[in-house]
Amino acid sequence: MKKDDRYLTFALGKGRLVNSTMELLEKCGIRCEEVTDKSTRKLIFTNEELKLKFFLAKGPDVPTYVELGAADIGIVGKDTIMEENRSVYEVLDLGFGKCRMCVCGPESARDLLNHHEMIRVASKYPNIARDYFYNRKNQTVDIIKLNGSVELGPIVNLSDVIVDIVETGSTLKENGLTVLEEICPLSARVIVNQVSMQMESARIRSLIEDMKGNL
Amino acid sequence: MDRKLLHTPEGVRDLYGRECSDRQKITSLINKKMKTYGFDCIDTPTFEFFDVFSKEISNNSARELYKFFDKDGQTMVLRPDFTPSVARCVSKYFMENDEPVRFCYNGKTFLNTHNLQGKLKENTEIGAELMNDGSIYADAEMIALLVESLTSTGLEDFQISIGDADYYNGICEEAGVDAETESEIREQMTNRNTFAAELVMAENNIPEKYINLIKSVSTCIGDASILDNAGSLVSNERSKKAINRLKELYKVLCSYGIEEFISFDLGMLSKFNYYTGVMFHAYTYGVGDAIAKGGRYDNLLGRFGKNAPAIGFMINLDDLMTALYRQKVKIKADKACNIIEFNDDNFDKCLSAAQELRAEGQRVVLKKRTD
Repeated sequence: MKKDDRYLTFALGKGRLVNSTMELLEKCGIRCEEVTDKSTRKLIFTNEELKLKFFLAKGPDVPTYVELGAADIGIVGKDTIMEENRSVYEVLDLGFGKCRMCVCGPESARDLLNHHEMIRVASKYPNIARDYFYNRKNQTVDIIKLNGSVELGPIVNLSDVIVDIVETGSTLKENGLTVLEEICPLSARVIVNQVSMQMESARIRSLIEDMKGNL
Repeated sequence: MDRKLLHTPEGVRDLYGRECSDRQKITSLINKKMKTYGFDCIDTPTFEFFDVFSKEISNNSARELYKFFDKDGQTMVLRPDFTPSVARCVSKYFMENDEPVRFCYNGKTFLNTHNLQGKLKENTEIGAELMNDGSIYADAEMIALLVESLTSTGLEDFQISIGDADYYNGICEEAGVDAETESEIREQMTNRNTFAAELVMAENNIPEKYINLIKSVSTCIGDASILDNAGSLVSNERSKKAINRLKELYKVLCSYGIEEFISFDLGMLSKFNYYTGVMFHAYTYGVGDAIAKGGRYDNLLGRFGKNAPAIGFMINLDDLMTALYRQKVKIKADKACNIIEFNDDNFDKCLSAAQELRAEGQRVVLKKRTD
């Protein structure tokens, strides 16, 4: 395989980051309208002129594609990178998709976080929750993995608190929950495969510089 | 039939037929190359005391070791890596010897990695270690040997990235970064996460000038021309020494005539605690990680009671095979088998014909004719 006819492949996390990402890429002179076309059934999109390929994947899978080299570059939220903990290079903070990883619950649960007693935590992010409670707070907790609508946890008494992403806090408020502790801020990041970074160093670095300049 | 017994556990696999013979071919090509550089074989035990491996690796990887107890209650570990074993072995048997010692090995290593991530728990490694020689020529010899080992398999499109953590260490020293902050910065820098590293540095009141300098380390990737530029940015002895050593190394590599495969990456920092100087990785298309890793580890033998410099590398055969197959590199197949059919009457005649061919080195299968 000759270097010049090799495609660079982007893995994009499905969802709210896609549109902002494509806008940014367009500013860098990279166009691929099909990606944001909701009616298409295609899985992979190509920009022949620049030798680029794009595909959409579920957020948590993006670091996997990048780590194993199926994609050279990935764009995904920091929450996913922390939860998956794969060996990839994290090279750029895109600044959009800003939100926070928080411990949330009813106001009455606030007191539970001040002691070291065992509590139940429901989360879509068991690794982040475990790291926060075990390594930063030294609190023993029982972590329950849920796959969505995590806010239900405290409401139906499945758990005392939850660990989840908070953007505006309106879902929480509507359900009588509040942010109790902030774990860390989050935003969209660019990740790069280790081999690609070496083998395609010039191309990838100029892409990153372009993106940085157009933020 | 018990169906449960038919498949292997996750992370290990059967190898047979063509694939198995391809692997043997590649292994023997590489071994032959290593022999031509004067390397002798070594084989160490599959499991050893936990302490042989525990010090060099981070706590995180210690959790990935396969551990068990022997009858005396001592903790044993299935080797995750050959280097500490070879270092222990050389320290023990070559305690008085100051002449360079060259050993090569191939065998399986074991890491209890996560399930469902597409990673093997049992890997085959082929490696070489050169001990008792701390010179630039030893560094170059090992890198040249790695290049020649890889080209001998038919792989053409690959690249060796060379780094030296001392460049980064020197800058940290100059900036007056304490050990704890340094390890925090390093953690981010190994992932090339410069903005997180910047946050850590800003929190610890490191001067702006050094923040930018340390950040720039992670993008110091390129051919030999980056060395001059990187050298001009620093004023401390340690970093300058690292750069000069890399430049000298490059000169020797040019004498070997392998400069087309060489690039430099000063941002290459290792989570492994034992590397002390030059480090190198081999990258190629078709796999997501380096196919070979190596470096200088001048303190490791000291742990076993012999103060001696050493350098080594290992090639991950499983990744190399994936790369060869994906890049459609031809691997010479075995000759086809001759089949000689016999029946009860002419067996003696067929057998002597078969033995004659076998003596010539041909492959023969004797098959009973069924009428």
